[in-house]
Amino acid sequence: MSFAVRLLGITKRFGTVTALDRVDLEVEQGAIHALVGENGAGKTTLMRVLYGAIAADEGSMEVEGNTVRFGTSREAIEAGVGMVSQHYGIIPELTCLQNLILGAEGGLVLKNKVAEERAQSLAARMGFTFDWHAEASTLSPAGAQKLEILKLLWRNARIMILDEPTAMLSPADAAALFESLHRLANEGATIILVTHRLPEVLDHCSRVTVLRGGRRIDEKLVVDTNGNELATLIVGEAIVEPDRSQPFEPGTTLLQITGLVVKGDHGEQALKEVNLTLRSGEVLGIAGVDGSGQRELFEAIAGLVQTQHGSMQMLGSDCLSWDAAERIRNGLRLIPEDRHAQGVVEDWSLDENAALGLQRLAPFANKGRVDGKARFEMAEQIADRFKTKRGGLKLPMSSLSGGNQQRFVAARALCLNAKLILAFQPARGLDIKGTQQVYDGIREACRNGSAALVVSFDLDELLEQCDRVVAMNNGKLLEPRAQDSLDRDAIGRLMVGAQ
Amino acid sequence: MLNLLVLTILFSTPLILAAMGGYTSERGGVINIGLEGMMLMAACVGALAAAHYGPVGQMIAGVVAATVLSFVHWLATQVYHIDHVISGMAINAVAAGGTNFLYLKLSDPAHGSGLPHLPISVFCVAGIVVPFLLWFYSRQTRGGLRLMAVGSDPDKARLMGIQPIRVRLFGLLATGILTGIAGVELVAYTGVFTDNMTSGRGYIALAALILGGWRPLPTFMACVVFGFFSALRLQLQGTPLFGAQLPSQLWAALPYLVTIIALAGLLGRNRTPAGLGKP
Amino acid sequence: MIWRLIALIVGACAILAGAVLVAHASPIESLQTLIHGSLGTPSAIAGTLKETTPLLICGLAVFIALRAGLFNIGVEGQLLAGACCCAIVATRFHGILGMVLGVLVGMLAGALWALPAGLIKAYRNGHEVITTIMLNNVAALFAAALVSGPIKDPKQADTATPYVDASSRLPWIYSNPPVQINFALVIGILLAVGMAIWLKKTVAGYELQAVGANRIAARFAGISPQKVTVVAMSISGALGGLAGAIQVLAYEGRFYDGFSPGYGFDALGVALLAGNSAYAVLPSSFLFGVLSKGGTALQIDGIPKGITTVVLGMLILIAAAIRYRKVSKDA
Repeated sequence: MSFAVRLLGITKRFGTVTALDRVDLEVEQGAIHALVGENGAGKTTLMRVLYGAIAADEGSMEVEGNTVRFGTSREAIEAGVGMVSQHYGIIPELTCLQNLILGAEGGLVLKNKVAEERAQSLAARMGFTFDWHAEASTLSPAGAQKLEILKLLWRNARIMILDEPTAMLSPADAAALFESLHRLANEGATIILVTHRLPEVLDHCSRVTVLRGGRRIDEKLVVDTNGNELATLIVGEAIVEPDRSQPFEPGTTLLQITGLVVKGDHGEQALKEVNLTLRSGEVLGIAGVDGSGQRELFEAIAGLVQTQHGSMQMLGSDCLSWDAAERIRNGLRLIPEDRHAQGVVEDWSLDENAALGLQRLAPFANKGRVDGKARFEMAEQIADRFKTKRGGLKLPMSSLSGGNQQRFVAARALCLNAKLILAFQPARGLDIKGTQQVYDGIREACRNGSAALVVSFDLDELLEQCDRVVAMNNGKLLEPRAQDSLDRDAIGRLMVGAQ
Repeated sequence: MLNLLVLTILFSTPLILAAMGGYTSERGGVINIGLEGMMLMAACVGALAAAHYGPVGQMIAGVVAATVLSFVHWLATQVYHIDHVISGMAINAVAAGGTNFLYLKLSDPAHGSGLPHLPISVFCVAGIVVPFLLWFYSRQTRGGLRLMAVGSDPDKARLMGIQPIRVRLFGLLATGILTGIAGVELVAYTGVFTDNMTSGRGYIALAALILGGWRPLPTFMACVVFGFFSALRLQLQGTPLFGAQLPSQLWAALPYLVTIIALAGLLGRNRTPAGLGKP
Repeated sequence: MIWRLIALIVGACAILAGAVLVAHASPIESLQTLIHGSLGTPSAIAGTLKETTPLLICGLAVFIALRAGLFNIGVEGQLLAGACCCAIVATRFHGILGMVLGVLVGMLAGALWALPAGLIKAYRNGHEVITTIMLNNVAALFAAALVSGPIKDPKQADTATPYVDASSRLPWIYSNPPVQINFALVIGILLAVGMAIWLKKTVAGYELQAVGANRIAARFAGISPQKVTVVAMSISGALGGLAGAIQVLAYEGRFYDGFSPGYGFDALGVALLAGNSAYAVLPSSFLFGVLSKGGTALQIDGIPKGITTVVLGMLILIAAAIRYRKVSKDA
């Protein structure tokens, strides 16, 4: 048996975090090999090591039998390794042909005729058709994906890494993609497929490697396994049993979403007929791998994106006509995903940041005037609530560490008549104690009549902290059966699309 | 009629050369409102050099002067990461003040007007050839492809193994050369340097670049149209049009007005390079 | 980073000293001439303050746009629009009515002249710098067309409007010719103080600065960056128009061809140098006033006035480089 790729004992540390811990990966020549795992399991990091984009701290690599050590991606490309990253590297303003050859033009003067002929033959081999002189901006997500694959062929890649290639494709396009991947594999190419969609693994791959928490958990022949087993391997066993000592008493409906459809950046349906009911007193968790539509749902509820269809009621009133400020006035509070870009103004003081998002509400404002004294007092309360480590309140937000900024943003969302709390990874970057404090804060608000909707990529965190967990997969919101509302396996299966 | 044609060519040539200079800069993602200053500096230094070193010296000195300013713009925006607009403003200020200072101090009153210069036809030929060369360059060469890639998305270009800072250096050096020639032409034509003699041509070149969608040939056409209107304005001065005497300033304002309408998205789609102004 | 900054400053100083030496003058003496010419005598100081007034108000116009993250290069055009419209109106009325109407119309004209730039930025994402440059040129040409035709005073040889009636002019707060200080300076100072308080003490000011500091975070905070962009640009334009109106009503008395020597452009330097405090626009505009008035003294001394513009350009570059250093250190 010949291996196209052998990675042995790969370890990669970022500061104190070990992203990869002695990971082995052996991929057979001509195989379609799946690499699966949750967000943060280390899949992409491992592939970036193989592609030469980052250097491993320990371990050895063999490509087609030769021991290699890549300093740059260029060296990896020369050795026959190519990678299509999650966010396509297509430049929309260039033509398809220009995108294809960029960086590997082969000479100072372009031989467009020759290039087009070769491009055409590569495309024909894959069964693709392209208008080579059309701008790449006219490409559909599927077309862009195909062009990325041709870019690998153009560079004579024999080992192809595809990172979540179907994330933006329709089922039909995904099926066509796999058809071409099979064709490539039959011609001798080796394909490593990074994915979180188990049906793809089961239908199209020959072997599967499971990563979890930076370690290789298991490797299986696909014929020897099934979706349930893989789902269990991916999410692992629960470490802490959820604490259900305080059963919640659902009250009135605070948020009701029916048939909500939202378009994504590429015109695809990012939310597909989402239905959701949230009652007072309830902490609802939304599980799912990154990019399943959580972001769009969050922004739709916050009033930051246009919705296509469906209805939404907030506190009993139709709220689709409300802008973001109106929703905040009615008691919506946000803990955004990216505190740095969305939650704070880094060069403002803590004091000034205390009012951000609440600036029009009393006591921060009084008839259009800023109440400096009240703001300062509120800032102190906010900073004290989760023990934000800080200098003075007049120091800039940038003087705080990421975790302390997160504490501040979370406390701010809870400080003033929060009716509906919308949190995206509220414990991001926090240690166990900090995580517990933030969730306790959210639960406390909910016990007093609010409701919270929490998005997280960490299923265990949600199971531990929420009253009920639903899953998102590919733009759909999937509710487990009532008796499974906190069942790890059931929700785990929903979020990876296993039946 | 022939007169109008000649005037059109004369008026459009400096616009074309400056706009092409703007092209090599902005297509690579560097906003360049300093075209005006670069032209002005080239005109001034060219005028000073012509008195001593003849027509070739005039050309070389002018081109070098503009290229130095262009290099400063590269340094400021790419190395010091100063906002492209601020740097352009500063370059215009330095050029406006510096030329006033240099010319008053260093010019030789004995020479007066009538400096030696290259034949104007040389500039006009350059004005016609350069856009086609750049068109070829952008479509048929590696450098042109990489310039477009960097201007559209520096990060993705970096992913493909291209160094934006290097590509932009070459782009800005070309800007210096082209705006230099444009500036020298102005002084060659009038035979004497006067304060602020570019009188907004750098900005009109920028407007043409925008109207041309940052593409060489449409930009060239826009410059010719602007040149034509300037020529027409000169021809029609004093003749009533449609029964009314239109002030000549309204003609002059036309390029700017059209550009504003274009920016409002009322003339086809916005073709601004997506990476314009990005690090 | 610090060595780069030092290199920049040393380079700038070397160029300036070199330039002065080329001019066959001693750098120290030139500096003395400059300071004496702008601050040495009461009348020099009054002249500097006269130069400072439009720079101050225009500086505030640029400043407020910068706080909202906008680069209003168009203050020059807004000033011309304001001055021209103010002169048209104020010459038709007498007394306080002419003054008040002139100011209001000037501000309105400036705001309207800035509006397209704000709208195009907010809703078409067209760079405000390009639109304002174009609007500047259009303003200059339109004003020239008007003043040489429809609104020209037939009794004057110059291409200028008639003079505004003395009863409609802004009063002097101190007048002992040649030392005169106009009420306009007080308006400018009050505006600076008012703006500083407005930005700090009102929710609207808070929201405007939130958009300038972090557009995305502002959006998540329920603020519409589009609306703020349009409003900020209009306020900025109104201030530019006010500067023009005041220039007419306080000093010039009429509108004429070549009205502004580039106050709107110098104002960019004023605002950039002021950093992020409206109060700092006061000393910053005074410094530019000194440079402008002192430049005239240099001119008499045989050193071309252009050198002060070169200083201005270098100040802009150095201020921008220092600001970047701060940002990168924070990040």
